[in-house]
Amino acid sequence: MSLFIDDNLEQHSDGSVTCRHCSHLVGDAAAPMNAARVTETAPRTAGPSVREDAALFADRPIVFRRTFCPECLTLLQAEIVPGDEVSSRHRSLIVGA
Amino acid sequence: MAYVIGIDIGGTFTDAFAADESGRVAATKTPSTPPDFSQGFLTVLDEMAGALGISTRALLSDTNYIIHGTTSTLNALVTGDVAAVGFLTTRGHADSVAIMNLEGRYAGLGSDRVQDMVLTNKPAPLVPPQLIRELDERIDYKGHEVVSLDETGARVAIRELVDAGAQAIAVSLLWSFLNDSHERRLGELITEEAPGLYVALSCDVSPRIREYARSATTIMNTQVGPRLRDYLRPLEAELRERGFGGSLLVMQGSGGCVDSSDAPSRAITTIGSVLTGGVVGCTRLAESLGHRNVISTDMGGTTFLAGLVVDGAPVSTTSTVLNQYQLNVPMVDVHTLGAGGGAIAWVDAGHNLRVGPRSAGARPGPACYGDGGTEPTVSDVDLLLGIINPGNFLGGRKKLSKELAAQAVRTHIAEPLGLSVDDAAAAVYAIQNAQTADLVRKVVVTSGHDPRDFVLYAFGGAGPMHCASYAADLEVGEVVVPLGSTAAVFSAYGLAASDIVLTAELSAPANFPTPVADFNSSFAHLRAELEDRLADQKLKFAHVAYRNEADMRYTLQLAEVATPVPAETVDESGLADIATGFGELYERLYGKGSGFAEAGLQLITYRTQAVGMLPIRPQLGEIPSGRGDPTPSSTRRVFLDARRGWQDADIHDYRDLAAGHELKGPAVVEAPTTTVALPEGCIGRVDRLGNLVIRYTQV
Amino acid sequence: MPVIPVAGSEEFANLPTSPAETRRIVGTAVKLHEVGQSVIDALDPLTYEVIRHRLTSITEEMGEALKRMSGSVVVTDCNDFDAAIMDEVGDVVQVGLYNTELAASLDMAVSWTLRHRAARPGIAPGDMFLCNDPWVGGGLHQNDVSLFAPLFIDGELFAWTGAVAHQVDLGGVSPGSWSVAATDVFWESVPTPPVKIVENGEIRDDIEDMYLRRSRVPKLVALDLRAKIGANNVAHERLHALCEKYGAATVKAVMRRVLKDAETRLRAKLSELPDGSWTSVAHQDSARSGDRGIYKIVCTLTKTRDTLTFDFTGTDPQVDGLINCTYAGLRGGIMPVLLTTLCGDIPWAPGGLYRCVEIISEPGTINNCTFPSGIGKASVASAWATTNVVTECLAGLLDAHPEHRKRLMSVCCGTWDFALLAGVDQRGGGFVTMLCDSMAGGLGARTHSDGVDTGGLACIPMGRVADVEMNEFSFPMLYLWRREEADSGGPGRFRGGVGASSCFIPYDSPLGGVHLVVSAPGKALPLAGGLAGGLPAGTQHDVLLRSTSVHEDFAAGRIPALLSELGGEAEVIPSHHETDLGSADVYFTHWQGGGGYGDPLLREPGAVAADVIAHKVSVTGAHDVYGVVLASDGTVDQDATTSHRSALRLSRAGLDSDRQEVNA
Ligand SMILES: [Zn+2]
Repeated sequence: MSLFIDDNLEQHSDGSVTCRHCSHLVGDAAAPMNAARVTETAPRTAGPSVREDAALFADRPIVFRRTFCPECLTLLQAEIVPGDEVSSRHRSLIVGA
Repeated sequence: MAYVIGIDIGGTFTDAFAADESGRVAATKTPSTPPDFSQGFLTVLDEMAGALGISTRALLSDTNYIIHGTTSTLNALVTGDVAAVGFLTTRGHADSVAIMNLEGRYAGLGSDRVQDMVLTNKPAPLVPPQLIRELDERIDYKGHEVVSLDETGARVAIRELVDAGAQAIAVSLLWSFLNDSHERRLGELITEEAPGLYVALSCDVSPRIREYARSATTIMNTQVGPRLRDYLRPLEAELRERGFGGSLLVMQGSGGCVDSSDAPSRAITTIGSVLTGGVVGCTRLAESLGHRNVISTDMGGTTFLAGLVVDGAPVSTTSTVLNQYQLNVPMVDVHTLGAGGGAIAWVDAGHNLRVGPRSAGARPGPACYGDGGTEPTVSDVDLLLGIINPGNFLGGRKKLSKELAAQAVRTHIAEPLGLSVDDAAAAVYAIQNAQTADLVRKVVVTSGHDPRDFVLYAFGGAGPMHCASYAADLEVGEVVVPLGSTAAVFSAYGLAASDIVLTAELSAPANFPTPVADFNSSFAHLRAELEDRLADQKLKFAHVAYRNEADMRYTLQLAEVATPVPAETVDESGLADIATGFGELYERLYGKGSGFAEAGLQLITYRTQAVGMLPIRPQLGEIPSGRGDPTPSSTRRVFLDARRGWQDADIHDYRDLAAGHELKGPAVVEAPTTTVALPEGCIGRVDRLGNLVIRYTQV
Repeated sequence: MPVIPVAGSEEFANLPTSPAETRRIVGTAVKLHEVGQSVIDALDPLTYEVIRHRLTSITEEMGEALKRMSGSVVVTDCNDFDAAIMDEVGDVVQVGLYNTELAASLDMAVSWTLRHRAARPGIAPGDMFLCNDPWVGGGLHQNDVSLFAPLFIDGELFAWTGAVAHQVDLGGVSPGSWSVAATDVFWESVPTPPVKIVENGEIRDDIEDMYLRRSRVPKLVALDLRAKIGANNVAHERLHALCEKYGAATVKAVMRRVLKDAETRLRAKLSELPDGSWTSVAHQDSARSGDRGIYKIVCTLTKTRDTLTFDFTGTDPQVDGLINCTYAGLRGGIMPVLLTTLCGDIPWAPGGLYRCVEIISEPGTINNCTFPSGIGKASVASAWATTNVVTECLAGLLDAHPEHRKRLMSVCCGTWDFALLAGVDQRGGGFVTMLCDSMAGGLGARTHSDGVDTGGLACIPMGRVADVEMNEFSFPMLYLWRREEADSGGPGRFRGGVGASSCFIPYDSPLGGVHLVVSAPGKALPLAGGLAGGLPAGTQHDVLLRSTSVHEDFAAGRIPALLSELGGEAEVIPSHHETDLGSADVYFTHWQGGGGYGDPLLREPGAVAADVIAHKVSVTGAHDVYGVVLASDGTVDQDATTSHRSALRLSRAGLDSDRQEVNA
């Protein structure tokens, strides 16, 4: 049995997690996106929604961190967070056989 | 003979009620004919003529006026079959009708849907972005011009809207109700640039503060105005062709009517047209019966409507919600409380028995109709409990299946809950009644009243089957089921018995007391406007009355209270009396000590209502008196009260009853259009007009 | 100055207490009503449903009573209040559809009152207790004042009713009790643990004076106190009648079963969802004026069978400033999301729902702070951020179920855009008002549809904003615009709802200007995250333009529609700020939208084109984020879009057309 764990990811009974768009392996149950491609760019590369430079308001670095399917490059996760902090966004599902 | 005729077009039936000066009345009913409702309108007139034993031409030539309750504007708005409207507004504020004060996401939804917040949405935009233009111009809160109107830009915008397909233009600018010069000038520019186009200005349609509702009202008015015009013009021409020489009047949500030539320019006022007939009927009947305070309950096949009459007049509201939009439309306050006989009984995920708010609607309807409905409804339960006679529903016009009703209750309620079909049905009946009492109570209490001070009127096909029970829960002392000559067409009776009602209003928010001169000149202005409009109706009135009121509030408090104001000019002590009256009214509505008087008072909106009483007021005829006890036509087992279970009940045919007859519950009265249930502990008495009046000997 | 522990404050460091423990401590001081399981088991469906419906209707009536009597715009216009019916130990049986975070900790306040007030001064019929101590419960910051009243039937404490509302000002350094410079609670309004302000049906004047004396608007606060008394009275009258008709045991049995029903149904829904854990984070920038820090709340939601555990380990320590919240605030942050995303179709009986929830949190952290940390804006700071992080965790859980995912939303409007105006109004009277325009935040995107544009806030199902005309009539201000802001909704396959902006000048005050207090984070980084590749919503953006040409523009017949048209000097306002506006100064405040859902490159191009026409997305946003190329008539250029999207797919991942790394 497998389970769609969100719009992009499917988790299989063996614990593997694949991309729903291209079936490429992206991770496993413990870390569903550990094989994903991660990039960090300046917050304003997120588009016009970020109205000002973060440096006006904060001293810590802020980054736009994106996680992509390594194969089809579908965007799996996007966050704008302090760059000196590891990502806290994480999940781990138990999928019955 | 001079007749007055009321015609009420509902989704299913078109009803007519006629009366002449001598007190003769007649009622007829025919199926409605959507989408062209005028066919049913003409048919019901033919049937009315037949009932009176005269030709249609003879009837129409003797008819002074026909008062028409129409769903055409409401249907147009609900189905979206409306004119493409272009919208002009102040620069920076076009999004007001999209933001909808954010309340547009949930306005008018039941609490079950509000709770399911993730699934709520705003309605489709009233006007697509391509048909909206913002203009440079600005008036401030005092009515002073801050930025002049950019006429060159306005002309360009108008031409663009026409090119983009606008069939009509709505104009609503900030503060236009205080200073209408920019809107009026825009009206002229539109006429110059696009001659003949339907135009509505917010300073005409709704000169009231709060731009969101004012704009929404103006836009919706503009959407339906052309449609109403296109409906009424041919209908009136057809009536003239058939010999009609009187006035065709259109009922408004305010509970009064307006001449059909005047109606399209204020089309939005007709959206409550068919809802209010019942309340007006109650008001007139209450006059005859000497009841000052009435709760009007109309439970039909698909809706449950409740309204109030207080001190002999229907309780009104100054605004309403349609398609989740807030509209400034003075209306009789008719609350839609539920799904009527079509309310579906179901077992929720927690294994609890629930009734409504989902409805089987007109299609497929209750399971017992055999039209494909499989879920049990309140009507199915009424049938199973012996209240409805399956062979005599709607006078035998509709055959009902007890088996289908039982199957629906068994499958969906009884088996899942481990109850017998009887017990399940009895529980649904009782829950429906208790819920109705809760909802009606809220209507009464939030209007600042106590249900115990009221008489309850129950009509509609299903109301009388339940009223004795929910009225008892409300601790109402007396229930009236209007039967007699009006029973089948109660709303049409209400239409025939209505008056011309015109409303004019104007916001001029200011601290109160305002200067006496400002106050009097505001009302004089409204009075003059109404006198002109009354003259336009081209009718003879028996009597014209003006009622003034002012929407007032305590500064900082939201609730504005429509406060009565004397119809003549006032001096400073008169203003002080008005303030006192407001304070008393406020406390009655919101509780003792609820007003923050220290913050001061504000007057927000002036409003005048002109009531032109029509010369013919239908009088209801008395029925013959009876002697002794009435003879039941039969007996059958009924289940009206869970505490008492199945009981033998006398079944009375209404046609066998006469004035003065008394019936003791448990009993059932079968009338041609409805069935009245009298549980044990109730006594029903037939009054001189043929109504059944229910009182309680025990609760 | 760092927060120094205060000896004696432990008594008020309240935590939820089990009914059994509450009963044990109360002992014989008050006779608590109880009902046996046999009565609950014997309830028939009819009686249950009739009484349940009536309890709902009584709660609605309480809300109506409070709302209509209140004099606070935040109550009457914005529905920032709530009402609840509780059982004899405070478990909430029914909560109103208003600000649900307010009622999330009434149970804690009632239980504390039972444990600390039953012996002295005693709890008797006709009493009502006032509380605005968020360490005890009943509200999230000191402005949330609760009033709860025991209902006695035949000498036994049968139930409690409670009403909570935000009060405009209860003292503290800055107007509105919003002390943006606060480092601890002593800068703020005084927290008041439960006091018996109504005794035997009468207000105690001494206690009321002590309460009102702290406020800049005591008359207004007094009126709201009466509104709450009225709400409780309405409920008591109707509950009395209900008990008379059906018997107290039966009514209590229904209350017990309502709690059980809510619990059972939530457990049933949870059982249908996969087990697992979801971790997320919510940030806040700036803890007080002058502070440039960034603080995080981390939450790991673990769902095991039919139980939810929210573990906040990893959350930052409490901070000098006004953004901390107490344990009541933490719970107040969780409850609104639990209600809206998991309980849209389950009765809102928090007392039952809490039984499915465990909370792990360390005292001394930013959303479980100890006395005397500053908590002046807790409700919209750390409690709100808790809502944001919990929203993401619960959304992840729901997303794994084909049906239940329809009820998830990305994070809604990431913060409250607080703008308070004070001064002298156009009629010469003093005024203090919180501008409530930002109630119209954008809601988060859903898995099947966009978030609602200017649709509200997560914690208030029925929020409302006042019309521009009412604000201009009431306060010395003139709006240049109030409009939805393009690109403020988080991009995604389904777009987050857009937020909006208001831009105004002081107008007609005899002082020429107005005083302004700003407290709105989300400027260094957006606070409403996206899901499943959806982007966060836009940032908060507040700009003050000094000495503009606005009056010259007006005179020349122009209404400026862009900040760049206004001239003057632009100050980008930090998250916390207090200043004065002059007559030619323009203030622009732009609040946030909701987060997106799914990869924006997967959004239907036609939907993007429609968004551009409707000004929900700019042409730049359409091109750069959604990869949609528009023809000159505004329709989608299909070919150009296809090729641009292919290129964007590579370039945004830092790859060139040969899939080689590009050095950024
Ligand atoms: Zn892939």
